[in-house]
Amino acid sequence: MDFSLLSDAVASKSYQKIASICDDLMLQAATQGIAFHDEWPYPIHLLGHLYVDDINTARFLWKSIPSSIKETSPELVAVWKIGQLLWMRDYAGVHEAIRGFNWSQEVRDLVAAFSDLYTKKMFELLLSAYSTISIQDTALFLGMNEDDATNYVLQHGWSVDPDSRMLTVKKQPVVKEQKIDPNKLQRLTEYVFHLEH
Amino acid sequence: MNLNMNMNYVESLVLQTKRLSGTTPDDLNCLHSLLKQSEETLRTESARFASSLADLDPFKHSLGYLYILEACTAGTISKELANELVLSIARFISECDAEQIRLAPEKCIDLFISLCKRFKDQVMQLEAPIRGVAPLLTAIRKLQSSSEQLTTLHPDFLLLCVLAKCYKTGLCVLEDDIFEVDQPKDFFLYCYYGGMICIGQKRYRKALELLHNVVTAPMSSINAIAVEAYKKYILVSLIHLGQPYIDLVTCYGNGKISELEAYVEENRDKFENDHNLGLVKQVVSSMYKRNIQRLTQTYLTLSLQDIANTVQLNSPKEAEMHVLQMIQDGEIYATINQKDGMVRFLEDPEQYKTCEMIERIDSSIQRIMTLSKKLTAIDEHISCDPQYLAKAGRERQRLDFDDLDSVPQKFNI
Repeated sequence: MDFSLLSDAVASKSYQKIASICDDLMLQAATQGIAFHDEWPYPIHLLGHLYVDDINTARFLWKSIPSSIKETSPELVAVWKIGQLLWMRDYAGVHEAIRGFNWSQEVRDLVAAFSDLYTKKMFELLLSAYSTISIQDTALFLGMNEDDATNYVLQHGWSVDPDSRMLTVKKQPVVKEQKIDPNKLQRLTEYVFHLEH
Repeated sequence: MNLNMNMNYVESLVLQTKRLSGTTPDDLNCLHSLLKQSEETLRTESARFASSLADLDPFKHSLGYLYILEACTAGTISKELANELVLSIARFISECDAEQIRLAPEKCIDLFISLCKRFKDQVMQLEAPIRGVAPLLTAIRKLQSSSEQLTTLHPDFLLLCVLAKCYKTGLCVLEDDIFEVDQPKDFFLYCYYGGMICIGQKRYRKALELLHNVVTAPMSSINAIAVEAYKKYILVSLIHLGQPYIDLVTCYGNGKISELEAYVEENRDKFENDHNLGLVKQVVSSMYKRNIQRLTQTYLTLSLQDIANTVQLNSPKEAEMHVLQMIQDGEIYATINQKDGMVRFLEDPEQYKTCEMIERIDSSIQRIMTLSKKLTAIDEHISCDPQYLAKAGRERQRLDFDDLDSVPQKFNI
């Protein structure tokens, strides 16, 4: 089997491409009647789906893996553990699951990249959902100890009330492209004109 | 002597195939009639022809290859041979020249379809549905004259996707807008399996659209596809829209989570037999969401404790987690204030002035305009159709008889 596309993507840290590369390779291998299960890089494939936040597809992939392989690959089971916790939205559990396994050389970088991305997403979530939140919860969501978590959010302009151990969230205005192409505007105007006459 | 003759026959047919697999339609027609005449020999001598396939090129000699491969794979096939056969059909599908097959008379497309169907049956018998996913997708694309056309292979492809759990791959044909349908049954199955795939990917809106097509399609007698589709339609509509229907649904409408859970537990076996239990569970959890969403319409701020009490959750923390999930999924707009234990519900912050939104609005309008043009074209087509006019004229005559209306005569052509 030719995994060069996959190894290129991993080497260049284009982790968002991994899932679809693996999907395609698997369909090709199956079409050629290759018994691919034993040598398939399932942990990487599964992590690839988690990396692009496609838990549905990760779940179906997990379901399609033969049980003999699940039983003999603790690393695969450890990846799926992350998937399960994402599925159940056990936000703090995801961080624990990432830390709780000694990842092999092949997947270590990918797991670390996923972990960074997940922490960023959690921070975004807290930013959008809370006006005040306890230091303790913030630490759980971000997967850090309380001091590190406090420092992390202080850097983003939040403020801390030492007495109540509460953090006040500093909302950041979201900047979105608002400059409209005149042609677009022209076209929308024509639609409205057409509807009114 | 007889053997010898057949040997020569095989050789000469292969030679003719090579010679006539040219570019002109005349050559192809000539080759086609030759192959058609040889159909019986092809079947009786399939073993000998099978070895001659090595001599042909699936792309250059697509037509001849198709006839020979079809003949070789007819009849019952042992498990050992099935593997070989699946491989050679897969290779043919990926390499064959669709133009050559489509240029030839109608019959060749049927032959191609039956070869693909046989291929699907074989991968299912081998219990390896994943082996058929990529080839059937290729076959669909080669068969289609445009992406608006539903082929009879669509349902087979989607079924393999479901069986192989390649839901994401299945989505790619579901994104096409279908306007041309040949067999209603293909369309029903396409919508049913497509609905299942969208459910798996939690794209409930699209799933509802597909299932709705089956449930509302005109059919002279109700069929099993429609019944199964209806069951899923009800469940998905609860999850996505929260619309009330039958028993489960009366419970759901009451908004009391404990009653709903009791009802589900009571009827667990029934749902399990229908393979719908997973969906039913999602219905239950969607009720919390629905009830929380209802609160946002009434209150501007509410304590987590009050939310927990109203939607029957055990603690303010549980209520907080539910609200958080809904914010994460963009289902409500709110801010949680942990310090005071309060939630403030906000308006949708979308102001419809970003480039991204304009792009979306514009592309929606474009799609609707295309659809509208198609409808107008069909309408014009029907109103010029002699059969329709004759029938409409007769109906009008019959219905208006009592009114002594003499106008309808004009309709008769």
